[in-house]
Amino acid sequence: MSLQVKNLDYQIGGKSILEQICLEVQDGEFVGLVGPNGCGKSTLLKNIYRTYKPGRGTVFLNEKDVLDFSFKKMAGEMAVMAQENHVEFDFEVRDMVMFGRYAKKKFLQGDSAEDKKLCEKCLKEVGLSGYEHRSYLSLSGGEKQRVLLARVMMQESAFIVLDEPTNHLDVSYQYQIMDILKGQDVTVFSSIHDLNLAALYCDKIIFMYQGKIVDYGTPEQVLTRENLREYFRIEAQITKNTATGKQQIYYLPGWIKSGKKA
Amino acid sequence: MKGTVKSGKGRFLVTLLLVLLLIAAVLTISVTIGAVNVSAGDIGKILVNKISGKDIFRIAWEGKTENIIWNIRFPRVLMAFIVGAGLALCGVLMQALTKNPLADPYVLGISSGASAGAVCAILLGWFSFMGGYSVIFGATAGAAVSICLSLSIASIHGRITSTQLVLAGIATSALFSAFTNLMVYGINTGSDKAKMALYWMVGSLSGATWSKLRYVVVVGVVVIVVIFLFAKELDVLLLGDDVAETLGVDTRKMKLVIIVASTILTGVVVSVSGVIGFVGLVVPHIMRSFVGSGHRRLIPMAILGGGLFTMLTDLISRTIIAPSELPIGVVAAFFGAPFFLYLIRRGNMGKK
Repeated sequence: MSLQVKNLDYQIGGKSILEQICLEVQDGEFVGLVGPNGCGKSTLLKNIYRTYKPGRGTVFLNEKDVLDFSFKKMAGEMAVMAQENHVEFDFEVRDMVMFGRYAKKKFLQGDSAEDKKLCEKCLKEVGLSGYEHRSYLSLSGGEKQRVLLARVMMQESAFIVLDEPTNHLDVSYQYQIMDILKGQDVTVFSSIHDLNLAALYCDKIIFMYQGKIVDYGTPEQVLTRENLREYFRIEAQITKNTATGKQQIYYLPGWIKSGKKA
Repeated sequence: MKGTVKSGKGRFLVTLLLVLLLIAAVLTISVTIGAVNVSAGDIGKILVNKISGKDIFRIAWEGKTENIIWNIRFPRVLMAFIVGAGLALCGVLMQALTKNPLADPYVLGISSGASAGAVCAILLGWFSFMGGYSVIFGATAGAAVSICLSLSIASIHGRITSTQLVLAGIATSALFSAFTNLMVYGINTGSDKAKMALYWMVGSLSGATWSKLRYVVVVGVVVIVVIFLFAKELDVLLLGDDVAETLGVDTRKMKLVIIVASTILTGVVVSVSGVIGFVGLVVPHIMRSFVGSGHRRLIPMAILGGGLFTMLTDLISRTIIAPSELPIGVVAAFFGAPFFLYLIRRGNMGKK
């Protein structure tokens, strides 16, 4: 499963949010999307999964315009974990996860025994075994996030789009979730807040700033002191983590340089 | 029970059984009580004779009694049931559409729209090309206009907040009630203006007949079957339109189904009962606390619960100040309005 975005522009209320975005995610890649708050990451992702309507001829899945997919076909190809939204009505955790199977079903087809098994497996992977009959709304933010991830896995799509999947999560779950995603035989495109996490897991990183893509490449190529200084406005020390073999970023607040204590 | 959703199968069956028993009890009481007292035994015999079409039991009662039971009380009780069932189902649909538990045909002003449409048909002779169905057609057309108006006022950038929803409902409701009053008082030449206005504002089931009941039941059953087919889609829709789309639900198609179904249902129900408020608000909320939000169980329970609620309010409306009758909408409001306040208090208005 591959994704191409060609010359995507997007405006909200006359204000340009995305300008001439071009990118490609190849089959089997794990691609991260990074950039400071408000740079347009979520807007770009929403254009890809069609919550916002991209222009014709801008977003392609396997070289087919996403606008030509029915919602059901699209959900079969692409699973989405958006940032948590407020829900007014309560469901059991199991129902919440089972909704991931919707796109695989024909009209009026019920849940099979395999679906139930898969549901158990997905909940186990996110560490929520035994939560099947818990109320979704009673869960903590991190638990909800993991339920939604289980639902994404339940979709069994070849392409997964995530918007900050490790928000709200304890540090151990951040790594566990990334491991789960990395372990699936799927293509992943995810916005990521934590740059060290991005360095550790991504094959490629897309760097956004003020609605434009400003850099693209491997973590080593993109996560540089110069980029961090220019776009995140923070000094950093970047070393190689001897245990992981990946970059390790240490942030250096301004007072270190000036010699004044905080 | 905190932390667990109450939606087990056992819980569903117990609730179902309980509601069915209550329906049977209220049905019996409603048919028995009235200006003419008839024993439950005689009523059973009349029923068996009528349904079988033969005189299985020897007729030991006056012909007038039989007429009251069969042609007045039975149609009225059954009408109460189907009206309540329809309004509760409309509530469920409006709530899935707006993702807001405060939505129902009365709160959104759709009932007022339907009642204005019905009055147009009666007093202005609109829709007379529909023959005997002109009132029901007028009510449905009124419902269609008001639902479009109300929803378009309520949504800002495609989202509907509780505050917007309630305000849009008040405005729509006020507008259509004013129309109804204008027509009743301005155009109506009959002497029973006040009575007629009251009927279309606060509802009554006193005009129920077998022939009216027949078409309401037919429409009701068709809509219920269609909606039940989409139970899974309705569940997913509760998660929000964006999420539902990424999970594969065609939300535009679903919204169309919901709007058409609830317009027809509200129109038909209002054309036979006038405006009865809050049923669609109270009943689905109570039923959710028993059987959860899943529509496969919620829809049948809302239908039965709505029927029970209206049968009960109708029974109260015609017994509490007997021999005169209190409009059923007044009784429903005594239950519903405090409940509405409670739902608002619970914090729905504050959020977002």
